[in-house]
Amino acid sequence: MTKISKLVLPAMTRRQILAGGAAATAVLATPAYLRTATAATPIKIGIPTVITGGYAVLGSHVMRTSNLVKKMTDASGGVLGRPIEFLFKDTQGDPANCVRKTQELVERDDCRIITGVVVSSEARAIMPKLEEWNAFFISHGNGDGTLTAEFYVDNFFRANTSAPMGARALALYLKDSENMDFYAIGSDYAWGHSSVAAFEEQIKKVGKNFAGSVFAPVGNKDYSTYITKITQSGAQGAYVALQGDEGRAFYSQAQQYGLAKRVQLVTEIVAQANIRALGKDSVGLVGSSRYPFTYDIPENKAFVEAFTKEYPGELPDWTDGEMFQALQILFTAMEKADSTEAKKIVAAMEELEVTSVKGAVKMRKCDHQGENQGFVVRVSESADYSEPVPEILKIYPREMITPDCRSTSYSN
Amino acid sequence: MRFAWTFAIAVVLACLVPLVSPNYMMTIIVEALIWGIFAMSLDLLVGYTRLYSFGHVAAYGLGAYTSALLLLHFNLPLPIAIILAVAISSLIAVPIAWVCTRTHGVSFAMLTLAFAQLGYAMLYRFKEFTGGSNGLAGIPRPAGPFGLEVFQGKIGYFYLVVFCLFGSYLLCRLLVNSPFGSVLAGIRENEAKTSALGYNTRAYKRAVVIASYGFGSLAGALYAPFAGFASPELFFWLISGKVLIMVIVGGAGTLIGPIIGGIFFIFLEHQLAEFTDLWPLIFGAIFIAFVMLAPQGIWGLVTSAASERRRSPGDAASESEDVTGASA
Amino acid sequence: MNFAGFLLTQCLNALSQASILFFIASGLTLIFGIMRIVNFAHGALFMLGAYAGYTAVRVTGSFTAALIFAPIVTGLVGIAFERVFLSRLYARGDGGAYLMVTFGLAVIMGEAIRLIWGAQALGVPTPEALRGAVLLLDQPFPRYRLFLIVIGATAAIAMWQFLERTRAGLLIRAVSQNAEMVHALGTNVEWVRTGVFGLGCAMAAIGGVLAAPLVTAFLGMSASVIIDAFVIVIIGGMGSFLGSIIGSLLVAFVQVFGAYYYPDLAMAIMYLLMLMILVVRPGGLLGKEE
Repeated sequence: MTKISKLVLPAMTRRQILAGGAAATAVLATPAYLRTATAATPIKIGIPTVITGGYAVLGSHVMRTSNLVKKMTDASGGVLGRPIEFLFKDTQGDPANCVRKTQELVERDDCRIITGVVVSSEARAIMPKLEEWNAFFISHGNGDGTLTAEFYVDNFFRANTSAPMGARALALYLKDSENMDFYAIGSDYAWGHSSVAAFEEQIKKVGKNFAGSVFAPVGNKDYSTYITKITQSGAQGAYVALQGDEGRAFYSQAQQYGLAKRVQLVTEIVAQANIRALGKDSVGLVGSSRYPFTYDIPENKAFVEAFTKEYPGELPDWTDGEMFQALQILFTAMEKADSTEAKKIVAAMEELEVTSVKGAVKMRKCDHQGENQGFVVRVSESADYSEPVPEILKIYPREMITPDCRSTSYSN
Repeated sequence: MRFAWTFAIAVVLACLVPLVSPNYMMTIIVEALIWGIFAMSLDLLVGYTRLYSFGHVAAYGLGAYTSALLLLHFNLPLPIAIILAVAISSLIAVPIAWVCTRTHGVSFAMLTLAFAQLGYAMLYRFKEFTGGSNGLAGIPRPAGPFGLEVFQGKIGYFYLVVFCLFGSYLLCRLLVNSPFGSVLAGIRENEAKTSALGYNTRAYKRAVVIASYGFGSLAGALYAPFAGFASPELFFWLISGKVLIMVIVGGAGTLIGPIIGGIFFIFLEHQLAEFTDLWPLIFGAIFIAFVMLAPQGIWGLVTSAASERRRSPGDAASESEDVTGASA
Repeated sequence: MNFAGFLLTQCLNALSQASILFFIASGLTLIFGIMRIVNFAHGALFMLGAYAGYTAVRVTGSFTAALIFAPIVTGLVGIAFERVFLSRLYARGDGGAYLMVTFGLAVIMGEAIRLIWGAQALGVPTPEALRGAVLLLDQPFPRYRLFLIVIGATAAIAMWQFLERTRAGLLIRAVSQNAEMVHALGTNVEWVRTGVFGLGCAMAAIGGVLAAPLVTAFLGMSASVIIDAFVIVIIGGMGSFLGSIIGSLLVAFVQVFGAYYYPDLAMAIMYLLMLMILVVRPGGLLGKEE
């Protein structure tokens, strides 16, 4: 026993010392500010995302699209004539870990451009530090409305559709629905609350009744009692602000109760991963989609083609499209600023307009929110694909979808 | 005397760390030390009194949120806020200790878990106060008493944590080597007998729970201003499992062992994640290896050659010990 | 919805929830009763059952096949683990060691599952025969949940009879009370332990298969289930099989009705319940005294 145990401990210490020593040497040998960027030096983009843990699926989407983008940009000469290098770090969805990893990206790897953060609370944790780090952060998928409202910081931009924007699109669509009363169920954390609050505000604005809401604890598995609550409310429609694991559990169970036959279920995020897992149980679901890969414009067609070629058997999910858009906007801003410095990118990105896979998007100066169109889709069977796909029902112009400046509300 | 010298050398070495470490490493070093304090606090319960707790994250979370709220709302000097946070958390620990020590064995462990989970649920329930799932961000580090600004920087904070680590170690050591500690040992070995000797074992257990939570909350109180935020993840029950593992891997009942266990765990997790995406796999394997091959933990390995300790953590019978007729 | 319909639906909801909880909790309590191990890997075994069930359904198209295949596979994995690692720890009588080893197993299994099946959630469709809902007092109730209630009740009764009436059951109960005596009487206690551990794992796996059509097979399954299982077993009494049944029922009913009337407390309800019970009866409702 002693012999083996003696091997275990010293090996660990040795490796730590080696790792620490190597890293220390690297940093000491090339002080960040003295390093000059040459044409060959890659531009580093930090991606502190979820590689292992509950949201690993979303992180895997972030990574696969990033890798595709790297391939595409490198092939066409890079950004500012330099290749792109993505530094992927695993945060496991934990804000403390995200702060730590991002700090390391900034201090050790001299990487001051951040994106690909999955969880809104992670984004919230690093945003206050951006100024101190002189770093730039663009969100590809953080939905919490407050990030561009109360918690706005200069060095943060949001390229994606936020939760209030998703709720808004849905409410506008439901304006023409015959149903009058709507109930809401949400996940009991920031995104869920933000979504439901936005939906409540919006549905009332279009003249419908808001019949009440309930929040299920994060990680809840059995939705039977919540399904009962929905049916007891007497509402004809129900807004579902549940995603990922919770969303799937809810829809699987709702399907068993035949809930969709009696209550019109609408949702804020339509994820292809869930559609695939639920299979035919998901057909008929109506919702707001942050990015439907079925959107028929040339920019998107090109992306989908490149994506399906690179990843056969896979279809771009909302995270893929949003990540692609965020990177496109980022690179365009960097080219415009002719720089990788945070403040210069900020200046270049304000009021920047780009035609991305989601159409024309403008990065608003007043709160750094990207003005996106709103898509309402229905999950439908398709002859062209082996799984159901989001069929676009209606597209709303970005002026109607994007909230007031630094706000999660709409005055129009 | 030997102890005094070893201790002094350790202090000096610790103080030299910032001089040899690159700046970005300081973050993980400070965090590792904070976890060291946290693990040591649990050792008082697990190693010295054989009270296995599954809810120790409550101490950490309490300390973190209390110091966060104090700093955010009252802008107190940092050291004052930390001391206050520890005091308040220890006070909150009193009813917890009271209820939990009514039982022992697995029931005790589960009660501590219940309280931790309740704390977690309350964070979500009172979101206006605690920030809910977003937590509290932008926690300031106001200048210390007499305009002391040194703790606002990372290196200064490192020394603060070092001071707290060594200070709490000394306090804990004093505690376990005192007559109080002897009674704890008695409770650990045979509570019935100790009670028969006339000691109010329940009162002692209550006291050690409060002390343990107190030191644990110190770790949390140090963490929140360092990271600049406090979020519900700091109250998540898996942390209780992690810190328990740190104690056992480090070597329960030694105070130093768990400190090393905590530091080791954090560095291992961090370094492994850098090398491979498969790090949880290797992580799990390492723990199994430790159990099978090095049951006395890291510190046990280190001292096994020169050990005069008649008791090793391997003797500690499990928390799975049934509720016997002892002193229910 | 009339009140009677509401009440019936909620009761059935609770019973169906209790059924799955029972499969997990009973496994955990059996293992604890006989080995004094708090099996931290129980959630991961549940998850393995769900994933193995998914594969069985993919390959054979039969849900029944999944119900047979998954527990066998998981049981074998558990037995292998018990033989290689746990059995070597019995002599030590060290609870901390079991904790670490089963924790290590849980972590490794979680990763292994991610590597084998991928990070995406995998859907297990409700079996054809059990699709759709029946009308009870004018309210639709899923056939699948009725099935859960039936299979849960059947398994509970079968297991109970097994423990009470059969020789093997007697051996198990004897070993959990006094292993040395049983050993002295000539029985190979090791094999009893191995068998029970395997059985416990198999039960958890069945729970996983049954849960799959409700929640799909996904990587976060193990973490959420393990803590529920602990709470139920504690409430019922560690080591008490009957306790695991009662605990499952109690927790399910309290959660279903509690979450309905007090959704704000939904997260805390289970722990408040546990707190109340432990304060009054520290060993759990049917806790075994030795």
